[in-house]
Amino acid sequence: MKGVGTILVVAALLAAVPLFGVSNVTLNFLVTALIIALAGQGWNVLGGYGGQYSFGHAAFFGTGAYVSAILQLRYGVNAWIAFAAGIGAGALAGAIIGGLSFRSGLRGSYFALVTLAFAEVLRILASVTPITGAGVGLLVKLDLRPEAFQFQSRVPFYWIILALVTVSLLIVRAIENSRFGAYLVAVRENEEAAKALGVNVIAVKLGAMVISAAIVAAAGGFYVQYFLFIDAGIAYGPWISIEALLAPIIGGVGTVFGPLLGALVVKVLGEAAKLVTGDAPGLDLMIYGGVLVLVIALAPRGIAGVVADLRARIVRRKPEAKPEQPTAGHHV
Amino acid sequence: MSLNRLNRRTFLQSTALGAAVIAAPSVLRAQGAPVKVGILHPVSGALSYSGQQGRLGAQMAVDAINAAGGIKALGGAKIEAILGDAQSTPEGGNAEVEKMNSAGVSAIVGGYASSICLSASQTAARYDLPYVVDVGVVDSIVTRGLKNTFRFGPGFGVIAKTALDNLVAINEAAGKPAKTVMIVHEDSAFGAGLAKLLNAQLPERGFQILETIAHPTPTRDFNNVALKIKAQNPDIVIPANYYNEYVLLARTMQQQRIRPKGIYSVLGGAASSYKFVKEFPDAAEYIMDCNHWFDPKNPKAQELKKQVEAKGQFYTYEVYMNYSCVLLLADAIERAASTDRAKIIGALESSTFSGHVMPYGPTKFVNGQNQGAAPVNTQVLKKDIEVILPAAFASAKAVFPMPRA
Repeated sequence: MKGVGTILVVAALLAAVPLFGVSNVTLNFLVTALIIALAGQGWNVLGGYGGQYSFGHAAFFGTGAYVSAILQLRYGVNAWIAFAAGIGAGALAGAIIGGLSFRSGLRGSYFALVTLAFAEVLRILASVTPITGAGVGLLVKLDLRPEAFQFQSRVPFYWIILALVTVSLLIVRAIENSRFGAYLVAVRENEEAAKALGVNVIAVKLGAMVISAAIVAAAGGFYVQYFLFIDAGIAYGPWISIEALLAPIIGGVGTVFGPLLGALVVKVLGEAAKLVTGDAPGLDLMIYGGVLVLVIALAPRGIAGVVADLRARIVRRKPEAKPEQPTAGHHV
Repeated sequence: MSLNRLNRRTFLQSTALGAAVIAAPSVLRAQGAPVKVGILHPVSGALSYSGQQGRLGAQMAVDAINAAGGIKALGGAKIEAILGDAQSTPEGGNAEVEKMNSAGVSAIVGGYASSICLSASQTAARYDLPYVVDVGVVDSIVTRGLKNTFRFGPGFGVIAKTALDNLVAINEAAGKPAKTVMIVHEDSAFGAGLAKLLNAQLPERGFQILETIAHPTPTRDFNNVALKIKAQNPDIVIPANYYNEYVLLARTMQQQRIRPKGIYSVLGGAASSYKFVKEFPDAAEYIMDCNHWFDPKNPKAQELKKQVEAKGQFYTYEVYMNYSCVLLLADAIERAASTDRAKIIGALESSTFSGHVMPYGPTKFVNGQNQGAAPVNTQVLKKDIEVILPAAFASAKAVFPMPRA
């Protein structure tokens, strides 16, 4: 399959990082960045390839997280099985939300607003329902055994999230190379034309939504195992919806490596801003915001877009095909 | 990074106060290796005001300890504060604990919000790193069996029980004028949890609950809530919300001339805040609260109040709780005579520390919870905040029902 080699090389390089004896601070940083990369990749399937900009992917992150935590805490289910169940539940949530909104013909900003509303409704429900621990949240018991999906060292966590990200990269590459991917891009570019050519638009969008939701739910489930705590604000709060779309937008919407690149850059930027400003509270966030605005203004196609342009300039000819160029930006 | 800044800041403040002579050794650090202590607070994000107040209290304690000669059992070693910003999120707190651990801290103090405390103390537990919770009231913080986690202040259960006991006591002392209650609470962790507890227990104690109104945080308009209160005309209004909403509710009630017999809050976001009393004295007058509070009869607490006010800051509970937590930790390090984490945990377990500024008596930890920790009842009287219960710490008598203006 085309383009799998690059993914495996990148994964192997990243997997080697802990072998150089990096500190737990760095590992913790990389794990957090990879969680965002995974969520971003999920968003990218629907938003980048399908052109359906969702502002509410927290709905799937939270569902994956809560289902995994609740199964472990209330029903004593093994953490790994609970994690898998969380992914399934996220996919189901994607099917339900996608089914409702796509069948109603919601597109563009309307779709974005509806997804936002779903996430908010879930957040409010989770903050009052006893099974989700209401406002207090849920605490997974510290149990540092591999069977319980918890590890004394940060390294296994890092490898697991890296494996998840790698799988998501492979899934997206497979979509890109498949007939389904072609339909998806056709829907993004012109839904009416795709429909006229016989593409089952709703089924294609729904398929993308389910895959997208499942990937984001995996990020949520991993989050629970890593931090062992979840509440309504973390699970369904707008922060994750924003991070999940920021990473691909910064990195390059509708590209395989965009979300990973974007997540790493955004996180490095955040840390660098913190280092520069030292103890002045909040100043780092202002610098971070400012740089973010600049990046989006100067590189509207993301880092992957800049890289592609540079490569094109060096080779002194345009790449033959440009399937990775999104045009869905007008939705936002 | 933090070290240099802290020392520079310490130095500047000390010179400004004309106390450079006392503080100079903390800058020079001529003694043995300093003891590194992590000071973790949400100094940016939604909780930044509380976080900054907490950091202030902790830093003042570090300065005081260093000025008094550091840790004597370690040859006068100074305490070096490693500052961390949890950015008001559990992940932020977690990342800072990792950094502090790498920086080689002997212990961590802080967290403030329950969610940050839960996550940060758990990460610290991976490294057997002693963690002293400054505020975090959720009871699961100390019921997880983590050996490294100690909470100096009271938890939710104790606070709610004290609040109800005291409400009954105040009402009985006044001849039981109050029979009906309305609860106005914010809909997240503490507000919703508290409303549930009150709904279960107030009827048992002879109060009738007319209505319970939930609102989200933030809420920017309380006119409808105030109208509902006016229509129901309860004897007591119990607000449970954060600072901004609390202030707005109190002011809206004042504007609409709603005067119940009492406004009685539990962990009220503003009721026992000098900021509220100073900025809106008329709306604040006679409001009662059951909350964290310093021991007003302790000269050390009053001295600290003067120092904080001299810096142009308000003397809020975050300040004196963190101040006390750092002193408690320093005492444990002193008795452990070591920066070894396990020895410090041992010393905290057997702590009988009483040099703090809270009305808790000598410290005694059982499963990480300080048994003496309890809230007190305060009331805003003549534009000041007085302790009205328990009697042992009271600086004034409760005025209830509040006089009709």
